[in-house]
Amino acid sequence: MIVETLTSPVILFFVLGVFAALIKSDLAIPEAFAKAMSIYLMAAIGLKGGIEVAESGFTPELAAAAVAGLGLSFLLPLLAFTLLTRIGKLGQIDAGAVAAHYGSVSVVTFVTAKEILTGQGLSPAGYMVAVLALMETPAIISGLLLARRGQPQRANAESSGLLHEVFANGSVVLLVGSFAIGLIAGKDGFEPVKPLFDTGFRGVLCLFLLDMGLIAARRLVQSKKLNARLVSLAIALPLINGTIGVAIGTFIGLDVASAAALGILAASASYIAVPAAMRMALPEADPGIYLSMSLGITFPFNIILGITLFSQLALMIG
Amino acid sequence: MIETVSRKRIEILVDTPLVPRLIKHARDVDISGWSLIHVDAGGGRDGAWQHDDVTGAAAKTIILMIASEAKAAALVDAIAPLLDSYRLLLTVGDVQVVRGERF
Repeated sequence: MIVETLTSPVILFFVLGVFAALIKSDLAIPEAFAKAMSIYLMAAIGLKGGIEVAESGFTPELAAAAVAGLGLSFLLPLLAFTLLTRIGKLGQIDAGAVAAHYGSVSVVTFVTAKEILTGQGLSPAGYMVAVLALMETPAIISGLLLARRGQPQRANAESSGLLHEVFANGSVVLLVGSFAIGLIAGKDGFEPVKPLFDTGFRGVLCLFLLDMGLIAARRLVQSKKLNARLVSLAIALPLINGTIGVAIGTFIGLDVASAAALGILAASASYIAVPAAMRMALPEADPGIYLSMSLGITFPFNIILGITLFSQLALMIG
Repeated sequence: MIETVSRKRIEILVDTPLVPRLIKHARDVDISGWSLIHVDAGGGRDGAWQHDDVTGAAAKTIILMIASEAKAAALVDAIAPLLDSYRLLLTVGDVQVVRGERF
């Protein structure tokens, strides 16, 4: 399974992107095209999840996974905050900001994991897309509470701007919206648009991960904020969070693939919704730390090793 | 020859998510005109950065404004406490403009 994962075109394109950035190649994906690919992938994954839930209906597993996802997103930042302050030696505000990233999720990591797991006959349940959407934002609230503990309240105008950023964030709107469209349209309604959203999915994901490899490696190369402690935590946190996620997924009775997906969601760190929210809510926090950790280290770690590790763990304990 | 008058050109390099807050400060001191300029890449004491549309994580914008000396001074006073925490780059320069009554 490990060899299969590491030799899949999806992962190899990501590795190619990392390699190109490390040798300072001028390889670049046009920005508008990359943005269009991200919209395509989020719409496709939302639609497919909605259709699967339309087929299976609302099950107790769905409710259990949703509660588990919400709980993980709220609580994982507490553990991350403790480790970041005690081992990482970060101050309260920086630790709170980083912790929020590690409670939230990475859509691209999930999409990649779903594709790899499905290719290996371990298809996560469609409702995991809804769990993904649910896990995007609670961690932001936890991170802010941790960062602002014992400090004066912020002005209402700033809070309303943040709430708008959190709930009207483009990726959240698109993911939830396309999930709802899939739920309403169902399998029959999906048929006419299937050639666009299904047939080309894997190829587009390859090109998108090529771009993400370039972005992640360039972020890492350009960063001056990381030290050995923070690099270690950027690897330890996904390992700890992912293990907790798989264990909880198995404990609440999810199938092996869905438990693995919950672990991968818990292990992933946000680099789209949360950085923008943190920049607004905690402008004093250093973006060089949270972006370099989540995008430069944790994201590649999860893509290359994490997905395999957590699916193996789910198979072992499931 | 067309008559020109002296005004202040204010440029603020800022992380894109913080743009609305700075625009609000500008409006509060009665500066109603502003333009946003997309920034591709740059570098500084904290290392280099590069804009990407996918994550938007390192997006930066330049806010450009023209204002009278009094309004420019009021804006600088208002945002001076934010320079460090928001990591702003603020420059103010003298320019000559036509139709000075507009600024």
